[in-house]
Amino acid sequence: MTLSLPGAATPEAETRLGFWPVLNDVLHQPAALAGLAIVTVFVLLGIISPLIEPYSVREATCAVFEPPSWQHWFGCDDGGIDVFSLVLRGGRISMIVGATATLIAIGIGATVGILSGYFGGWVDTVLMRITDYFLVIPQIVLMIVIAAVWGPSLSHVIIVIGALMWTSTARLIRAQVKSLRERVYVKRVEALGASHLHIIIRHILPQIGPLLVANTVLAITVAIFNETALAFLGLSDPTAITWGTIMEHAFDRAAVSSGAWWAIVPAGVAVAVLIMGCYMLGRSIEDGLNPRLKVSYLSLHGWKLRPLVGRGPDAI
Amino acid sequence: MRGSAFIWKRIVFAVVTVFVALTLNFILFRVLPGGPVSQISRVPNASPALKQALTAQFGLDKPLWEQYLLYLQQTLQGNFGVSYMNRQPVFDNLVEAFGNTIPMVATGTILALTLGVVVGVISAVRRGSMTDHLSTNIAVLFYAFPTQFLGMMLLIIFAGALPSAGMNDPFAMGGSGWDSFLDTLKHMILPVTTLALTLYAENALIVRSAMLETLGEDYILTAKAKGVPRRRLIRAHALRNAMLPIVTMVAMSLGAVVTGSIIIEVIFSWPGIGRALYTAVLKRDYPMLQGGFLAITVVVITFNLIADLIYYKLDPRITT
Amino acid sequence: MSSAFAIQDLNIWFGANTGSGRAEFHVVKNVSLELAPGERLGLVGESGSGKTTTILAAMGLLPANAEVSGRILLDGTDILRSGEASVAPHRWKDIAMVFQGAMSAFNPVRTIGWQIAEAMQMHGVARGVAMTRRIGELLELVGIPADHAARFPHQLSGGMRQRAMIAMALACEPKVLLADEPTTALDVMVQDQVMKLLVRLSKELNLALVLVTHDLAIVAQSCHRAAVMLKGEVVEQGEVGDLYHRPKHEYTRKLFEATPDVFSTPGAPIRTSPVSTKTEPASPLLEVRDISVSYPRVRSLRDVMRGVELDVPSAVENVSLHVDRGEMVALVGQSGSGKTTTLQAILGMVKARSGSIHLNGRDVTGLTSGQWRPLRRQVQMIYQDPYESLDLRYRVRSTVEEPLRVHGIGLTIKERDSLIHAALERVGLTPVERYLNRFPHELSGGQRQRVAIASAIVLKPELLLADEPVSMLDVSVRAGVLELLDELRTDARMGILMITHDLSTAAHYADRIAVMHQGRIVEEGPAAAVVRSPKADYTRALLASIPHPDPNRSTLADLSA
Repeated sequence: MTLSLPGAATPEAETRLGFWPVLNDVLHQPAALAGLAIVTVFVLLGIISPLIEPYSVREATCAVFEPPSWQHWFGCDDGGIDVFSLVLRGGRISMIVGATATLIAIGIGATVGILSGYFGGWVDTVLMRITDYFLVIPQIVLMIVIAAVWGPSLSHVIIVIGALMWTSTARLIRAQVKSLRERVYVKRVEALGASHLHIIIRHILPQIGPLLVANTVLAITVAIFNETALAFLGLSDPTAITWGTIMEHAFDRAAVSSGAWWAIVPAGVAVAVLIMGCYMLGRSIEDGLNPRLKVSYLSLHGWKLRPLVGRGPDAI
Repeated sequence: MRGSAFIWKRIVFAVVTVFVALTLNFILFRVLPGGPVSQISRVPNASPALKQALTAQFGLDKPLWEQYLLYLQQTLQGNFGVSYMNRQPVFDNLVEAFGNTIPMVATGTILALTLGVVVGVISAVRRGSMTDHLSTNIAVLFYAFPTQFLGMMLLIIFAGALPSAGMNDPFAMGGSGWDSFLDTLKHMILPVTTLALTLYAENALIVRSAMLETLGEDYILTAKAKGVPRRRLIRAHALRNAMLPIVTMVAMSLGAVVTGSIIIEVIFSWPGIGRALYTAVLKRDYPMLQGGFLAITVVVITFNLIADLIYYKLDPRITT
Repeated sequence: MSSAFAIQDLNIWFGANTGSGRAEFHVVKNVSLELAPGERLGLVGESGSGKTTTILAAMGLLPANAEVSGRILLDGTDILRSGEASVAPHRWKDIAMVFQGAMSAFNPVRTIGWQIAEAMQMHGVARGVAMTRRIGELLELVGIPADHAARFPHQLSGGMRQRAMIAMALACEPKVLLADEPTTALDVMVQDQVMKLLVRLSKELNLALVLVTHDLAIVAQSCHRAAVMLKGEVVEQGEVGDLYHRPKHEYTRKLFEATPDVFSTPGAPIRTSPVSTKTEPASPLLEVRDISVSYPRVRSLRDVMRGVELDVPSAVENVSLHVDRGEMVALVGQSGSGKTTTLQAILGMVKARSGSIHLNGRDVTGLTSGQWRPLRRQVQMIYQDPYESLDLRYRVRSTVEEPLRVHGIGLTIKERDSLIHAALERVGLTPVERYLNRFPHELSGGQRQRVAIASAIVLKPELLLADEPVSMLDVSVRAGVLELLDELRTDARMGILMITHDLSTAAHYADRIAVMHQGRIVEEGPAAAVVRSPKADYTRALLASIPHPDPNRSTLADLSA
């Protein structure tokens, strides 16, 4: 910004750099708080789900497509299995799949991004070319092909999602690291005689930390989406219980034509709520990190006139 | 001419990417473990003559590198082998499937883009207002719903009111061309709506944040100082510049279009490329799977190239 | 005198949300200014003094969190009276503005002509063929060929862009022109041209011109009167001659004193070379012999997409330099002259194509970065922008401690602490305890630069490379930092190579000056000799373009009219 309006540069605005200040700042926003609350509740439910599942997830406990009742809050599926229990269990596995695949993707993406952005030159050229190819090839189709050739299994799903989803992270991190690399303080530390490892660990990683967190949270949404999509196409382990397979099962067993919406809605809404939570949290962090969003020259309201006398301690 | 180097670079990149995809395809189906079961010649119930023809065309008795060259040659000639299922050439199957997919996906995508840009721009210029909160939250909601969930919900809600499966009513044979066209349009309503709703949300969120970024640029203040009225400021300055990141990001979300349309075609039994792929997976119809993968990849690469060219057209700063 | 433009009792408050509710900042306090037609007024102040805010208020361009009171009179009418509604009709038509950074103030995807045309269309000034002709006239008026209307902003040089910005401001024939630091980012010779242009236009078009700047010398050379702002208030206002010769306010006097003046180097040259009493054999601390550096001129597509400016450092041809212990050498040149590249080559950050660099007699020309690392203790660098050169997450203690850790100096915390203390004391950050645990944002610009210097000298280097060490600092703190460097030179006998674009600073502090132009050193010699009797044409041109803080010694323009 060439125009630094004092209004934009409040004392607080300048301090928000680095990991904790940003996080602290972000968590004062309602959207981020709501997102964090949702994610926390889901993770807790996932952890304790075996303890609170009211019925078995393998054996029939009620009639086929029994509608919701006091005994079975979310009704029953085509095999007479309690949907509430299924959704709890499915969430646990879906979240494990999503989180593992995300960790793989973020790990690859961050490594590629940091190497590419930090070292530049031929390292950058080679890594970015590879990234570009991965970016252009339609991932879901490749996932379908790989899953079809290797056979359906949960670990394949995790590996395939993880190994194909890292590209956007790599690009984002690369751009960030590349600009950090040009920052004067990084140059200064380099001129001090610090090693690349020292610079990356002490000066680069802490700076991209919040962005990486935001990216991880957002990537989980994509991973869970892809899991449900793969499962829906019958490419996940058919015996595993995930939100994806629950919906696939319901579709397969004609829940739609039987009007048994309760076999679909709980899993679908669960996915939607978790993804909304992740999205709100991730987006808030990312927006908090983007200084360009702090100024807008097109506000709904203009500046105000203050009457000449009689208001406030500073009035004349 | 400015940037002819740029255009050539992108074209070469696209061609090389297609080549990479071809190679990946070959490796996946013929080299990796599990490959042999997917042999192109193992068409069930095929006549010995057909098997022999395929073996000869693809050199299945020859060393791998020779197979690779033959495979490239055959593929470039449009010979993707023969479908296990209907024993028709894969190429013909693909052409038919694409013919069915394009109208549905194109309509849905264009709707989603229009809606996304309009909603995103309105949210951004009314940042922080009730309108902004409402439309952003609705967009996040639709972004969060899995496509199959949205599709199934529409199916349940509109069951009976609107046709829910296929492209045409099988019992309405013999109608005139116009009637059958109207019938297809009716069949398109639900799948197109599902696709448009899932895609619009992501577009709206992308457009909103791209617009917010440009609204903080100094040239917006300059334009304001010049007396440019609000509407023109948004259109001629902010949106025009925001188009650059928007084009890039929309191109990057092409994958989502593909995913969405596959799932939608499955749910609504739309006889397009997505459903063909799905059936190919179920029936282990490997030649179709390969062909479908290649075809979709080429389409996505082409659209990426188009996006690059649009970007080039929009940004006068590109020279290399 | 009838006034063309006046500001009366202007007050501006900014509201801000802080952690504990809403706070209010009173950033402009009772500011009053008045200009006759054709008059030029300098609005002078350091960053944060409220000068830009003042003129943005006159344009009605304040952000939504601003509250304004007072009057802005245009030909006697108060345009502020109904807020935005009454300002809008006058904006650009009667009162126009030249923004600071022409690169970001122009829309990057529209041509210059399009953007000038837009201003005219919005106010119905011209249309059709007449408009096209007028665009050509405007561009020629500011010294740009008319056919450049079809160019995009990135296709013009910095000076050209600023001229185009001025042309755009004049599109609707305003009576008042507000210029916000119009030459800040420009080289001194381009700055000189742009200022001459503004003065000429103000005379020819009878424009009332408000020139917002931090540079007193520019005001002295181009304005009739000046108003000095400090913390939102105008502390002194008057004829530039009076302000220069008889400043009433302490702050005005300080500002003039801090403004370097290359011409008034009274008596003996500021420095005579102190290295005459060498005892050690003649192996200079730094000896650069005939180095050449070249860069491939490429810009990647991604840079283009992100709008990164083509900022390829220029090549260096056969540059030779030497710096002795206890000596300060200034490398003077404009941006793109290759001075930064030379520094980079000395630091081993870029490879020299030919030539050699000796440090303490050791050849360091082709060393790998691994071989360089232990040597870095001997050579330390000070950077231009102290807001950029410190990691904002590091407290002062950690910043100064980092070099020690990197080089494994000081085994115990106590040992390191004493070194840190000594370094901070040396740079004048005392009492040290007060600063140790501060973050950079809790320090002023001058203090930050001192921290950066402390972290350089904690290693006890022999050679300091300083890249424009004061150009980003406010005028009043510059002298302090330069004095500090001078002390390091005399007390610690460090050799200092300072890059600067500012001949005045060089003349005051350096023993020797080397003038660089287009990758070559065009002149080198004792500071006084270079400034007093320049030999190279380029040095003469450079000297001629430096504005003089004394209004009577006109260098910039003739104000006799």
